[in-house]
This record gives sequence, structure tokens and C-alpha cells, in this order.
Amino acid sequence: MNRKSQIQIGETIAVLFVFFILIVVGLIFYARVIKGNIEIEGEESSQLRSVGIAQRVMFLPEVQCSEDNNIIDNCIDTLKLESAQSLMRENEVYYYDLFEFGNISVAQIYPNEVKWSLYLRKADNLRNKIVTNVPVSLYNPVTRRHGFGVLTIETFSK
Amino acid sequence: MDKKAFEIQFNWIFVLVAGAAILLFFTAVVLKQKSLSELSTKAVVIKTIDAIITGAGVSTDTINIVDIPNSNIEVGCNRAAKQYQNLILFAPGLIKGDKLITQTMAFSAPYRATNLLFMTSPQVRYIIIGSNSLAREINKSLPSDLKKEFYESMPEIRNSNNYKVRLIIFENMIDVPRALEKMPDHDVTAVKVNGNNEKGTIEFWEKSGNSWLSKGSSAYIGKQPLIGAVYADTLEAYECSMRNAFSRLNFVTKIYAGRTRELLRRASISGNQPQCSQSYSSALAHLSSISAASSNFGIDSINTIAAASKLLADQNKNAQIHSCTLIY
Repeated sequence: MNRKSQIQIGETIAVLFVFFILIVVGLIFYARVIKGNIEIEGEESSQLRSVGIAQRVMFLPEVQCSEDNNIIDNCIDTLKLESAQSLMRENEVYYYDLFEFGNISVAQIYPNEVKWSLYLRKADNLRNKIVTNVPVSLYNPVTRRHGFGVLTIETFSK
Repeated sequence: MDKKAFEIQFNWIFVLVAGAAILLFFTAVVLKQKSLSELSTKAVVIKTIDAIITGAGVSTDTINIVDIPNSNIEVGCNRAAKQYQNLILFAPGLIKGDKLITQTMAFSAPYRATNLLFMTSPQVRYIIIGSNSLAREINKSLPSDLKKEFYESMPEIRNSNNYKVRLIIFENMIDVPRALEKMPDHDVTAVKVNGNNEKGTIEFWEKSGNSWLSKGSSAYIGKQPLIGAVYADTLEAYECSMRNAFSRLNFVTKIYAGRTRELLRRASISGNQPQCSQSYSSALAHLSSISAASSNFGIDSINTIAAASKLLADQNKNAQIHSCTLIY
């Protein structure tokens, strides 16, 4: 092979090398953008999950107020809460499908302070926590009076 | 071989290797991108179904049409694109296309225990045949966007190229429509209803050549589970969702029993309204029979629950008449 051909081959290899370098740089940039998007989507997805769980709790027949089978929105029956507390603790595995890893509690603020813990399931490797507070009306069917409270839903994720 | 010829040959081999390397590189990129795109489509479908299932838990009596990427969603017992622990979803075994029709209804016996979620594709054809009021009511309850047809007597059925055909028969069983004989057996199914809008039995059928093959029978309580039997095309799928609905009813009943026990205790202490105590005490007996019956799904438990529900509704009315706190 003569010297001219050798130089030509060298030039082609150099062009290919630069071409591949540019492609790799482009791919790395693309991967970083995608990774960033995935992280944002992951964050959005855990927030959505948290809102979904909050909605599920709010509309749970186990705690929701009803009058002649008519559902009252944003209202929790305190007598149901008493029963739900022990039932949900005994059937934690069943309710895991609805609430996943989280902590659900109801705190009455007015007329007096009372706290009910409905559900708690934790795992050591879950470090992120999203807290959703929902103001609710707490109905006591015995006194037939409404109190005021906060439903707190904590969801845990990696 | 002279030097010039060797040089030309070497150039060609070099071009071939470099070309192959470039082609290989881009093929790998395209393949990776393809699998990523498929994965992302699956993720969108799973996310959509998850959102539908969450939404179903919070809203009753809704009908939605949801756009999804064109896909085939396999639905089974506690499975819809992904695995669930207790899924109350009535749907055909396969949902094809880029649209989902969803419907929700409350399952009450007599108090709301859960919501039932129904899901199907606009490409599935539903043929309702019957002249009684229940047939008309079921036809009215199904979404208008569904590809549904209602006939009072056996019509002449033509094949309109649907991937699944479901017949809902309220009177005598009919022959397999000739036009549907060539369709795959598992894609032509029928459900025969015997009962009223309170309770009854349902028989599941599947086409076998030019005749029907019975796949077993089950029962329903109320109109909502009957609509579930319209959407679910197999006995197994229907019974799986009903078992899940019953286990939910069991939990909710326990809550109402605890609540009624407490109401009875407080009414007994105050002693002001003996009628209230009487209502609560009777209600407790009915709640305990609903609780016992709802631990299993079957015709017997449906009869027990239907009877106890009626009596419990009477006690709730009694409580209302005597200005007592309502049972539910």
C-alpha cells in the first residue's frame, strides 16, 4: 500500500472516530434529558398516587357519613371510625391494596381533641413522605352534632 | 495480485466493515428506542387503568370514554394490565382498541359497600334480547356509546366484524346466529338471565361450533351485579369480582354492626326511646346474618343477604319513624 492510501485510510478512520464521538455525546445528552424527565414524572406520579389514596380514604364506605344510604361528602362518622380503627388494623394486608405504604389518621380539633389512627404500614427503605391534610366534618350520630377535624394521609415512597 | 488490485480490494473491505459498524450502531439505537416506546405505551395503559380504578372508588353512576394508545389489554381475575389484590372490575377477557368505555355503579346491600367498575371496548357488540321490564332496564343502564342492540324477540343477526359478541338473553335460549358461526368460539358468548331486578340466577354460555356450551351458572343480587355479568364474559371473571365485592361487603357490614352495637348500648343507657333499642337490636341480628353470608359468594348467600337487606331496610325506616339515629 502506498503512503497516499495510508493517509486516506487514516483520514477516514479519524472522520469515523469523530462521527462516533459526536453520536455518543449526543446520546449522553439525550439520556440525561430523558433521565431528568423520568425523575420529574416519578415525582408527579408519587404525588398523584398520594392524591389518589387521599381520595380513596375520603370516599371509603367504612368511614363516610350516610343518611338513609345518601352519602354526605367530606364527612366522617365518628362511630364508624371507632369500629374502622380496629377492623383496618386487623386486616392490614387487605387494606394495603388500597393504601399501600402510608399512615392514615383523623384528628378532631373541635369541640374537643381526639385522634384516631386508621392505618399504618411502613417499610425501612422508604424515605420520601408526602403528607396530604384534608379538613373534614366529623359527625357524631349519638349527639347528632358535627365537629371539625383533619384527615391526614401520609404516603411513603423510595 | 498486483499492488493496485490489492489496494482496491482493501478499500472495499474497509468500506464494508465501516458501513456494517454504522448500520449495526443505528440498528441497536432503533431497537432500543422501539422497546422503550413499547414500554412507555404499556406504562401509559397501566397508568390510565390505575387512574380509572382509583376514580371508580370515588364516583358512582358515571360513564367515561377514555383514550388510550392502541393496545390489547388482557383482563383476568384481579388482573387488568397489572396484578391487583382485590379488583372489582367486570370486563371482557380482552379489550382491544384505542378507546375504553368505563361505567361505575354502587353496590348496596342495602348500604353502599363498594363501587362496581365496568370496562369494555367500543368494538365489542352487545345484543340484548328480551321483552320484560328487566331487559329494558338493563338496556337503559348500559352506556349509549356502547355498541348495543336491543330486540324484543330473536332478530336476524348479521356479522358486523366485531372481535367479540355478547348476547344477553332474558327469555328462552336462542340458537347460535348463523352469521356468527364462523367466529372463534370464545369470542361469541351469552348470558341467560332468570330473575328480577332484586335477585336471580345467570347462566354463562359459550359458542361451540353451531351450538351453545354451558359454562356454568351463578347468581346476582340487585341490578348492578347483573350488569357486571353483561360485561364479564366468563363465569370465572364474574365470580372473582363478586367474591371481592362480597369481601368488601363483609368488612363494611362489620363496621355497621359495631356502630349499631354502640348505638344500642347508648340507647339502652339513656332508656328514653325503647323503640330505638328495639330497632337496633333487630338490625344487629340482620347485620350479623349479612356478615356471615357475605363471607362466601354463592346462590345461598345471595338469598340470605337479599332477605336480611329487606328486613334491615325496614328497621332503618322504623328508626326514622321514631326519630332514632339511622342504622345506615
